[in-house]
Amino acid sequence: MIKQWLGSPLARRVGTTTALAVLLMVMTGPSGSTSQPTAGFVQSFSERSSFFGLFVTQRWLVWAALALIVSALIRVAKWLKSDYAEMVAIPGRLARSAQAPFQTKKPVRFGTYGVLMIVAILLPVFVTDGFWQQSLVEQVAIFVLLALGLNVVVGFAGLLDLGFVAFYAIGAYATAWVTGALPAAAPFGVHLDPFWAIPIAIAIAMASGVLLGIPTLRLRGDYLAIVTLGFGEIVTIFLNNEYGITGGSTGSHQVPHFTFHVGPIKYAWGLGPVPYYYLTLGFVVLFLIIFSRLEHSRVGRSWTAIREDEVAAESIGINPLKYKVMAFAIGAASAGFAGVMTAAQTNFLSPQTFLLSFSINILVLVIFGGMGSIIGVVCGALLVQVVSTWMDHYTPFGFQSQDLYMYLGAILVAMMIFRPAGLIPARRRKREIAMSEAGEGHMDEMLTGDTP
Amino acid sequence: MSDDYIFDVKNVTLRFGGVVSLNDVSLHQNRGEILAVIGPNGAGKTSLFNSLTGVYRPQVGTITFSGEPGHSVSVIGRKPHLLNGAGIARTFQASRMFSALTTYENVKIGAESHKGLGAVGAMLGGPATRRGEKLSDSRTWELLDFVGLRAEANTLSASLSYGARRRLEIARGLATNPKVLLLDEPAAGTNPAEKLELTSLIRKVRDRMGVSILLIEHDMKMVMSLAERLYVLNFGGVIAEGTPEEIRANDAVVVAYLGSSDTGEAAQPSPSETEDTDAQG
Repeated sequence: MIKQWLGSPLARRVGTTTALAVLLMVMTGPSGSTSQPTAGFVQSFSERSSFFGLFVTQRWLVWAALALIVSALIRVAKWLKSDYAEMVAIPGRLARSAQAPFQTKKPVRFGTYGVLMIVAILLPVFVTDGFWQQSLVEQVAIFVLLALGLNVVVGFAGLLDLGFVAFYAIGAYATAWVTGALPAAAPFGVHLDPFWAIPIAIAIAMASGVLLGIPTLRLRGDYLAIVTLGFGEIVTIFLNNEYGITGGSTGSHQVPHFTFHVGPIKYAWGLGPVPYYYLTLGFVVLFLIIFSRLEHSRVGRSWTAIREDEVAAESIGINPLKYKVMAFAIGAASAGFAGVMTAAQTNFLSPQTFLLSFSINILVLVIFGGMGSIIGVVCGALLVQVVSTWMDHYTPFGFQSQDLYMYLGAILVAMMIFRPAGLIPARRRKREIAMSEAGEGHMDEMLTGDTP
Repeated sequence: MSDDYIFDVKNVTLRFGGVVSLNDVSLHQNRGEILAVIGPNGAGKTSLFNSLTGVYRPQVGTITFSGEPGHSVSVIGRKPHLLNGAGIARTFQASRMFSALTTYENVKIGAESHKGLGAVGAMLGGPATRRGEKLSDSRTWELLDFVGLRAEANTLSASLSYGARRRLEIARGLATNPKVLLLDEPAAGTNPAEKLELTSLIRKVRDRMGVSILLIEHDMKMVMSLAERLYVLNFGGVIAEGTPEEIRANDAVVVAYLGSSDTGEAAQPSPSETEDTDAQG
């Protein structure tokens, strides 16, 4: 009886939500110490605290209620035959979903994009708060750019890159270098405008992506993740230690702003975040167009083929290494570009920005949004970044910024259990997951053949 | 070496550690021929295929492929994708389609895989890219018609029947414009009606497209009706070579299959043996 119940989906859900609630109790309780690791848990029963200024109660009650609500919502979502329900129903429904039109009708699509564009353009008019205007650029727009770039590597080509921050750092430091903001002399002694740093930084980031990629992309899965992780660390340590070149741990404070000067048209970006918001927004739109074209091109299809079955892909003439290096280079280039934007906008560089946790943060955005789904990644980045910025700034229910990665980790765990394909799954990825659950996939299958 | 050989395999030995998978194998395929390689399970047939397509790298011997007369390349040491570019296409024992893609997309990937990188063109959506897309689109439809899968173009390849998967794999291979098509047990898992369709399709590929066929198959009826010449492998070595009639009458072949002397008809493997082969994939 008990054994049967333990195996049921209900038990699994209750177990997961309880574990989640306990985790939240530990995480949000008063900060404990190593001698009292359970303080957060214990005090959530014994002490009462205020929530949003609305009511005062024991913390455990709130989390238990939240866990119940979450599990109820999941129930409802399943009952409504949402995407998730469709995803696990094989294969009749799968076949039908594939026979549906490949894309929504053009007027609908462009209408939606138009509305979103207008909202994005008008946003700074409604968001008048200086902090939020600043955050929209630094915490949201830049992160959307980064997530779009990592999505090419992780989502399209299926390569786990844990050193993505390295290319971001390379882009930022390349900007500082060519604008003459580093101890290392600018090339030919010419101090360029950050606009000119864009192609240079992209080229340098891309080249380092290719150089790292050619020897390492022969590796698979976990090994690649470890090598990229090491690369990220090497770059950070280099930036920290080479005082003569990078300014060491103090970094640089002198990166100039963008200026635009062609003929009679002259414009200089300054401390105000709004002009930077529009500049970044323009580039985000450009990236969106470029990457969605790439996804639906020969290159995108080849990536899918390699991700699904490398041996079969090779047998029809696709060179896996070439396409993987290409994905790496494109990802690196967009991270390098994001580095230019950050350097010019904040004027400030420090190795402390470019840590492993930053790479993980970007990876969370991609996984949360939906690997391989451009629109999903954008939504995921918006949601996670806005919420984490909000929590960091207003510190609701005792949130502390060093806790951020615990929450991001919890999001990842929850996503893997409930929506493994992400918030807005990519059509192809969704099919892959559905099929591997049905035992149909070929992913990571051994080479078939006569056993020798 | 004759100029008419599309494949010329000389003294090839392939070892995995101490295990000898192919032992001093020499064989050749004439241009435009339907050649079959048969043999019991574990005889080294798929190892031979993997050596011919660059997946395995035999330690001893030479394999020469000449897609055009007078234009030959050495196979050993070349990567699979380069060999595909030279004109070798293949299918797999257990169909390996890109199962999250549709039938149409599967074939299209084959049709466009040799057209350079074009990432920049793809990003900008230039006229050259659009022209290329159009070309591979029409080629894809052509091939889908050829194998009779037009109606299934938008179906996910994973939800196709076994027979349709085989035809899809053939279309995907043909999309790369090969000179020779290697078919690894195309009839495995298909029903009698599908087998007949496949047989006529394979013959059509050779007759209409001029593509040579190299075939591994357990279904003797199909092999004997299709192949113009056969090689029999056992324990990694060639034990017989000849026309279907000659092979049928060959005692060594009958012994290899049944372990004792019997009539030629008995060379058909038992159903359980065929199933074993499927389970391997």
